[in-house]
Amino acid sequence: MTSPAQQLPPGWTAEWEPNHQRYLFIETATGQTSWEPPAASPDGAALDVGASNAAHHKRRQYAAGQTQAYYGAADTLGGGGGYGVAPGAPAQQGQLFTPGLAAENQFQQQQQQQMQAPGQPPYYSGAPAEPEYINGHQAPVYSQANTLVDQFSQMNMAGQKGLRLYTTNLLTSPPDPRELHRPPPEIVLPPNSCVSPSPLANADYTYQRCTLNAIPTTNSLLKKSNIPLGLVLTPYRSVKEGDEPVPLVTDTVIARCRRCRTYINPYVQFIDGGNRWRCCMCSLSNEVPQLFDWDQVRNQPGDRWARAELNHGVVEYVAPTEYMVRPPQPAVYVFLIDVSHSAIQSGMVATATRTILENLDRIPDENGRTKVAIIAFDVSLYFFSIPAGTTDSTMLVVSDVDDVFLPKPTDLLVNLSEARASLESLLGRLGDMFQDNHVIGSALGPALQAGFQLMSAMGGKIVVLSSSLPSIGVGALKNREDPKILGTSKESGLLQSATPFYKTFAIECSRAQVSVDMFLFSAAYQDVATLAYLPHYTAGQTYFYPAFNARTEDAIKFAHEFGAVLAQPIMLEAVMRVRASKSASLSYLRMSSFHGNFFVRSTDLLAMPAVPQDLSYAIEVQIEDTITAPFVVFQTAILHTSCYGERRIRVVTTAFPTTSNLSEVFASADQVAIATLLANKAVERCITHKLEDSRDALFNKMVEILQAYKASMTAAGAGASAQLAISENLKMLPVLVLGLLKNVGIRQSAQIPPDLRAYAQALLTSLPSQLLMPYVYPTFYSLHNMPPECGTVGEQGVIMPPPLPLTSERLERHGLYLIEDGQTIFLWVGRDSVSQLIIDVFNLPNYEVLRGGKTTLPVLDNPFNQRINAIVQKTREMRRGPYWPHLYIVKEDGEPALRLWALSCLIQDRSDVLPSYQQFVSQLKDKVSVARHTVYYGWLTWSHRLMAVTTKPRVSDAISYFMRSHTVSWTGMI
Amino acid sequence: MGWFLFLFAVLWAAGLMFTSVFCIIMFSDLETDYINPIDFCNKMNKFVLPEGAAHAFLALLFLLSGQWVAFLFNLPLLAWNANKLIKQNHMYDATEIFRTMGPQKNEIFFKLGFYLISFFYYLYRMILALVAEDSQ
Repeated sequence: MTSPAQQLPPGWTAEWEPNHQRYLFIETATGQTSWEPPAASPDGAALDVGASNAAHHKRRQYAAGQTQAYYGAADTLGGGGGYGVAPGAPAQQGQLFTPGLAAENQFQQQQQQQMQAPGQPPYYSGAPAEPEYINGHQAPVYSQANTLVDQFSQMNMAGQKGLRLYTTNLLTSPPDPRELHRPPPEIVLPPNSCVSPSPLANADYTYQRCTLNAIPTTNSLLKKSNIPLGLVLTPYRSVKEGDEPVPLVTDTVIARCRRCRTYINPYVQFIDGGNRWRCCMCSLSNEVPQLFDWDQVRNQPGDRWARAELNHGVVEYVAPTEYMVRPPQPAVYVFLIDVSHSAIQSGMVATATRTILENLDRIPDENGRTKVAIIAFDVSLYFFSIPAGTTDSTMLVVSDVDDVFLPKPTDLLVNLSEARASLESLLGRLGDMFQDNHVIGSALGPALQAGFQLMSAMGGKIVVLSSSLPSIGVGALKNREDPKILGTSKESGLLQSATPFYKTFAIECSRAQVSVDMFLFSAAYQDVATLAYLPHYTAGQTYFYPAFNARTEDAIKFAHEFGAVLAQPIMLEAVMRVRASKSASLSYLRMSSFHGNFFVRSTDLLAMPAVPQDLSYAIEVQIEDTITAPFVVFQTAILHTSCYGERRIRVVTTAFPTTSNLSEVFASADQVAIATLLANKAVERCITHKLEDSRDALFNKMVEILQAYKASMTAAGAGASAQLAISENLKMLPVLVLGLLKNVGIRQSAQIPPDLRAYAQALLTSLPSQLLMPYVYPTFYSLHNMPPECGTVGEQGVIMPPPLPLTSERLERHGLYLIEDGQTIFLWVGRDSVSQLIIDVFNLPNYEVLRGGKTTLPVLDNPFNQRINAIVQKTREMRRGPYWPHLYIVKEDGEPALRLWALSCLIQDRSDVLPSYQQFVSQLKDKVSVARHTVYYGWLTWSHRLMAVTTKPRVSDAISYFMRSHTVSWTGMI
Repeated sequence: MGWFLFLFAVLWAAGLMFTSVFCIIMFSDLETDYINPIDFCNKMNKFVLPEGAAHAFLALLFLLSGQWVAFLFNLPLLAWNANKLIKQNHMYDATEIFRTMGPQKNEIFFKLGFYLISFFYYLYRMILALVAEDSQ
């Protein structure tokens, strides 16, 4: 990014001409020189969308995969699935903006204008997700997307006037699954707010999104809208093929505001002839570092406007030594493997050791510093001394679990590359060593302490694989599962920590930069709730495989997910801080509470010993003072050590316009972000309060939003109305709230084992929006009558069938359906399905022979089978995160439990005590019209009621209905 | 002899007041990031039980010496502390501290106010007792 040379077509080079202060372009073969960048339009018109597309199109070759991903994105926008259709589709900021190339002159002009007056002429308002903007790298022109370009350019037109609000009636417009895949409402920044014309100047919404893309200027305005204000972050999002890589600033010139420590970003202003910059957060004028305009690689003056931090919302700096308290730590992995009877019997140990063995190459170890240790445990601890350079290892048994000590000072924690041979032989033998182990019980607590002692000087990751309830030593847990209290108000007690050990130990770990990942496998009660606290506060993640059995597909699932976790790069010893705009004396916005896996170390500092990829964090934001700025900036900075031993700072910057107009607040609301934030808040409430409180709070929040909308945005105002109005961009919120209310983590039921609930809650608070949305609102396809192109490889990869609304009305008796929530895939087979279908798909003679349950689809030599296999494969691969969903075959008249489980994914149906979507919406409508009445005419209602009770029978009927709707708690109905 | 009890109570209340002030300083340190939550909780947790015990001891003294008014005055706080102890949430939890900081700070302020009032009340009772003794 530092010079245009990298973006030139083959055969061209760029030379900096100091006399003219611009690049000279030379074609090396012919010696032809040019002031203008070759093949790019020379004037500012290059910034015109179409022109730049065309220009780039002519002279670029695209890798097939990239192009596919790109087309996938186009389909996303056209109504396909961002949450599903293309790999990495939602992360579509796949274009590197190349200022030096597209409009080198324009930059010169801009620089001059900056000297005269801060600001810049071209105006770009854009969600970075749309690929129709200026593209540096890949911009094939495709007819399919042309209409979209038009649409979006129209949106831009509208955008300059502010977002327009479209009201829809929830009663008449059923939820459309494709709505969820649309990008959030556009961020329309005021002109001249950004020094860079790059569409990537604002971080992509997959990194950081706000529940409102226009921030209300006052808290009272926010309260009027009733929409919760918060940020949803996935700062360490994976970069899949086709995604824009995070640019790296290597010259260690880190410009930060002296007062508020904000990192320089595209929203600062350059003043004083470009010698100083004004902080976009606190307006303090700071000096521009001298080396800022110096290209250290080429040792010549550089182009400031090409610097990554001024053009990108997401950028990573290499941090100099001031940002270190010690040399960057190596990546350390300590595996704690349960080898008790149940673990051996289930095949967990064999699968785990094989997976580690197979993935030794994938564990990040670029510079040979990664260290590994293996500790096995049942009621004793088994250490393994793995000396480097040999192939033998010794087992050291410590049976004193009350006072854990390390039996040997060296060779327990070994360098992965040096001790590779002995590690491999140990992993190969480990399963056999304990094959006849009949010991029952687990000393998980002491094992954790041992692992901690081993690595506390360095920090790193403890990976726990446990398949029984800890029973010995510190951290022993009792079986507190009691079917009688499930479904009652006491149930939330089961979701709280049973012993303080897992919290206090988590704090110790956090201090020593140790993170814990839990892989749990038990068939019986394992107290996932308590154990999950450890990953929760040490920034790890919990994975749960209930009743793991390696003889089934469980082994594939676990091996895949465990392998993905081992292979993913991690951030080590990280701290994260979110800054927001403030004026000189007032702080406009305050981060008021934090949700996710980390330890809050100070009012705004989050400690994360290790940051896995694709974990989401939610932060509630409070508006403290009236915001006078035209836009506000949120900046997330993570100081971390990469797993390759480099200290780095990742900075994610997003600017949002402010508004004092309530309709703009509604029009800019991001329903996916709101649902993600609500999920986090609901889970927290489940633990601190009761489950029904949490459900009530969710329902009431939805009612409040609808009330606010009705009162301020519709003609009906406070009066009764026959419709339930909400803005077009919030249309899916009610069904998402319903999905949350029906989610295993929150649902009203007396049958959900506490372990499953706790795991679902762990997922609800850690999944990024892309995975959370299907988890809350599953995807439902009809396979037997899908269009012929579905399941074949199209331009954007495998073409998925159109998603159906989640209602069993769509289930036909002869059909084949696929329901998936990102964690599980169900293949629903109707009872009257023709034999040919069964033969084609399952290679079985007829429906009767087909068995339900976990399965792997056979790969057969017929197109229909291959299409279905492709769809299943794509479902497993298209999202971020390590998850590999199981495939269950569900027969319509098969095992009732499995059937109910699959049907519980169809959340728009009525099930048990939970309402259908129609019922839910009419409940909302009743609440909205009635409760609005009480809020604004509370006193009036009271006086009327007194009169009515004595005089008017008709009104008193209405009032008895009113009373009923208030006294009958909605949880009773739902 | 009554004045002696109240003199003791005055000093005791003064001591408790200082603990509360210390807690308030600690909370403001935490808010301004002078102390991290782990150290904060370690330090504060040392004071939780002694403070509760000191208050309970004073209340017990009033009960034993038949100072019913003074005892009843202390009873609500005693019950509050006992309730927290029974529910096992009397200790500060470093993982939750920022979420629960608001109510906990209010509680400390309330306690400070309570000790302040009780300080003057005991002082008043002490003077009353002294005057009564003199007039005898």
